[in-house]
Amino acid sequence: MAAAPSADSEPLQPLAWACAAFAGGALLNLDRVPAWTAATTLLLIAWRLTTERSRARLPGSVARALLALAVVAVVLLRFHTLNGLAAGTALLMLMSALKLLETRARRDQFVLVGAGLFLLLSACLDRQSLVRVPLYALQAWLSCSALAVVASAGFGGRAALRLAGRALLFALPLAVLLFLFFPRLPGAFWALQRGGEAQTGLSDTMSPGSIAKLVASYDPAFRVQFAGRAPPAEELYWRGPVLHEFDGHTWRRTSGAFHPRQRLQYLGTPYRYRVALEPTRLRWWFALDTPAQSPDASVLLTYDNQLLGTEPLTQPISFDAVSYTRTRALEPLGALARQQDTTLPPGANPRSAALAQTLRQRADSDADFVQATLGYLHTGGFEYTLTPEPLGADPVDDFLFNTRAGFCGHYASAFVALMRAASVPARVVTGYLGGEWNPIGGYFVVRQSDAHAWAEVWLQGRGWTRIDPTAVVAPERLRRGVFDLLPDALSAPERLLRASAWLTRALQRWDAANAWWSDHVVKFDYSAQLDLLGRLGIRSPDVRYLGWAFVLALFGWLAIIAWHIGRSARPASPDTLARAYARLCHKLERIGPPRAPHQGPLSFAETVTAQRPELRGSVHALLARYAQLRYGPAAPAATRTRDVEAFRRAVARLSLSRAAGG
Amino acid sequence: MNAVSATDADAATLGTVLGTLETVILGKPEQIRLCLACLLARGHLLIEDVPGVGKTTLAHALAHVLGLAWQRVQFTSDLLPADIIGVSIFDRASQRFNFRQGPIFTQLLLADEVNRASPRTQSALLEAMEERQVSADGTTYPLPEPFFVVATQNPHEQLGTFALPESQLDRFLMRVRLGYPDAAHERELLRGGERRELLSRIAPALSAAAVLRVQRAVRAMHVADALLDYTQALIARTRERSDLKLGLSPRAGQGLLRAAQAWAYLAARPAVLPEDVQAVLPAVVAHRLERRDPAGAGDGDALGREIIRAVPVPP
Repeated sequence: MAAAPSADSEPLQPLAWACAAFAGGALLNLDRVPAWTAATTLLLIAWRLTTERSRARLPGSVARALLALAVVAVVLLRFHTLNGLAAGTALLMLMSALKLLETRARRDQFVLVGAGLFLLLSACLDRQSLVRVPLYALQAWLSCSALAVVASAGFGGRAALRLAGRALLFALPLAVLLFLFFPRLPGAFWALQRGGEAQTGLSDTMSPGSIAKLVASYDPAFRVQFAGRAPPAEELYWRGPVLHEFDGHTWRRTSGAFHPRQRLQYLGTPYRYRVALEPTRLRWWFALDTPAQSPDASVLLTYDNQLLGTEPLTQPISFDAVSYTRTRALEPLGALARQQDTTLPPGANPRSAALAQTLRQRADSDADFVQATLGYLHTGGFEYTLTPEPLGADPVDDFLFNTRAGFCGHYASAFVALMRAASVPARVVTGYLGGEWNPIGGYFVVRQSDAHAWAEVWLQGRGWTRIDPTAVVAPERLRRGVFDLLPDALSAPERLLRASAWLTRALQRWDAANAWWSDHVVKFDYSAQLDLLGRLGIRSPDVRYLGWAFVLALFGWLAIIAWHIGRSARPASPDTLARAYARLCHKLERIGPPRAPHQGPLSFAETVTAQRPELRGSVHALLARYAQLRYGPAAPAATRTRDVEAFRRAVARLSLSRAAGG
Repeated sequence: MNAVSATDADAATLGTVLGTLETVILGKPEQIRLCLACLLARGHLLIEDVPGVGKTTLAHALAHVLGLAWQRVQFTSDLLPADIIGVSIFDRASQRFNFRQGPIFTQLLLADEVNRASPRTQSALLEAMEERQVSADGTTYPLPEPFFVVATQNPHEQLGTFALPESQLDRFLMRVRLGYPDAAHERELLRGGERRELLSRIAPALSAAAVLRVQRAVRAMHVADALLDYTQALIARTRERSDLKLGLSPRAGQGLLRAAQAWAYLAARPAVLPEDVQAVLPAVVAHRLERRDPAGAGDGDALGREIIRAVPVPP
């Protein structure tokens, strides 16, 4: 009976290592693929390991082919494509998991480890934050150790880990070199389709409660470093989407509306700063209140002072900008724009409309009306809370006259609605307020929890003027973050983190490290490379020269590694006797035939004296002496040392001449 | 009688033994030395060659010159184990079974054409070789000391033979081939008449007791760590090579070292040298190593030389 092909002869260990490397790669992509993909993969790994233990049969080729087709079909059904990062990763993961069904020989285990490495690569494509770096390093280490175990059956786990660790350390300088000097292509090399992924940050609509949801997130939205003096905390309004359309419940951006940007007179201090945006997969670029001009050719500065990119932000990006926090309009508001920003849904929120008209009639000017409205909010018993009661059919009325409790979104929404009800042009601005000063990195970090909404009102002679109704209700919000105001908004562990000064400091350090990583590593692109080369004195780097320099460096480093490995492979340092013998052989080889590696001392003596009979006395005796010292009965240590030394000196003294007739 | 250590006289006598043997088997000093070393290392000897090159003569000569009692058994396919070991016979006078010892109860057993006997008989012989004792009817009878088997076989005879399996071949320390004599010695052979007549005129140079003494001296031959390193490297080499069916067994390794000791003793050296290991290695591995691919060039001796060349002697 034919023996089972693999189960008997192959130990579990290489398979287990290969599976571990593959599972590591799968785990790194856990947040990208749907849960069932990861679950199927991990289950298949577990199943394969148990069949190896129980020596069960693997499925036949027809079953495997059907399964492969089924997997392709499922992925197509779920993603409607096989292309793109999410679909591609899911397909790779499932197909490699199916490979487990036919993993019999060593070659298949190599394929599994390869899949693990490929999954690592796919994770690296767009998940590049500092916190994942140790995970990636671990996965690389695990996969290389698995390669070692699979490649040579005799390798124990410990030895493989040691070897792989050493090899990776050797590779590290090479990786740094490659990172710094490998010619980079300008532009987005990975034009990847990224569909079906969650977007984070502000969206272009605002309904009651939508910002409160954001506030629960502690993730950084962007970091800002001011070139000179930073504005005071109450001026740190970071502009995001500006919303114009109101349906009584939700605020929206006007789609397709285009108005020319008004000429502005900039007042007060210009603030110069650099913003490092986290990828949001949205088009907004956040900037301080009113940017003076667009920082980038691909970014539009809109009529409502928003920075709008042409592509969604899929990678971290930095830009320099100049902003003012006070401006004056030099042109009147256009009729179309005025109409757009005074429109309210007809019939909605009648009580607030009535209130607005009453207040307007009492006031002398629009500015007075604004003050009166703010006064109404200030004295009306309004409460600032993250968890307001749900609002009814006329949300503004409900909020102003019933619940009287809400978050920034409620106040901005109600305020703008009141303004418009009195035909004062007004719009809602969403964005962020404030930011946490990081003394270690010297920058502000603005988090999702700093999300805010305020209003802008058109006032005659001043133009668009920022009014923050929330500040009237909760003035503290201007100077402190939401969490200081509403500690309940934080989860218990986060509260604990913030309670300890030491932990806060540690968090700031970590954030500074993250900022450094993101600025210097993740964003190291073509222009940064040119900068570096320029600083090294290479002004106009020709890509060809760069290539040559790179090849030279590569081979140089490989030579160093080869020399090192060669040295460690050589036998341990030979003792004095061996060195003396080697020297004797060397001397003899110069005058006669070389010693074959397998020749012992006596047969070498025969070979030599066959050609040079006159040497029989000296050489023969020396070689016999060596044989005695090396293979003879052990003498006491002192005697032996003396004898070896005498032999060494005799060899040193030996002088041989090339015989004429040799 | 001093049986503890071999005297210088014993060593000198071995020179005489070699000289005597060389007068009987002409032109084969290397093989004769190997055979003697094999016996001094307490190993059994397999002589393999075509008929008529002096296998049996050599075996006879060895027995004569060493002064040992010897028996000869011609193996045939109908030979039974009892024909070698002996039988129990019912004795009417004493009303009991008496064990009548077979030819194996001797000091040197010449097993001619060992591959012609049935596996059962071969196995009985080989078991006795390993155990150095015989069991019959529940009683164990020790074999005399010293005890050697010199077996001969004809490698070319295939019909009606039972090739010895590897496990049994492993019990022979060496396999030696004699080969044809060269022209000068062949001429001398032709002129000199029947060699076997010479056998009767050979005077024993040693005795059983002297052989035992020499054997003990051989085992006491000094083996340095450096030599063990080298021997191990050689053995490891046979196991690494993927073109061989099997590497050397630990028993073969022990035998290799003992044979090298005997060789060094015959060369009157104070210790074993790599050269001694190299000298005996082809004969020790010849019948143990086999190529996977039978078409591969070279017999066992050639394999041994390949292995020697592949392993450097450490300085």
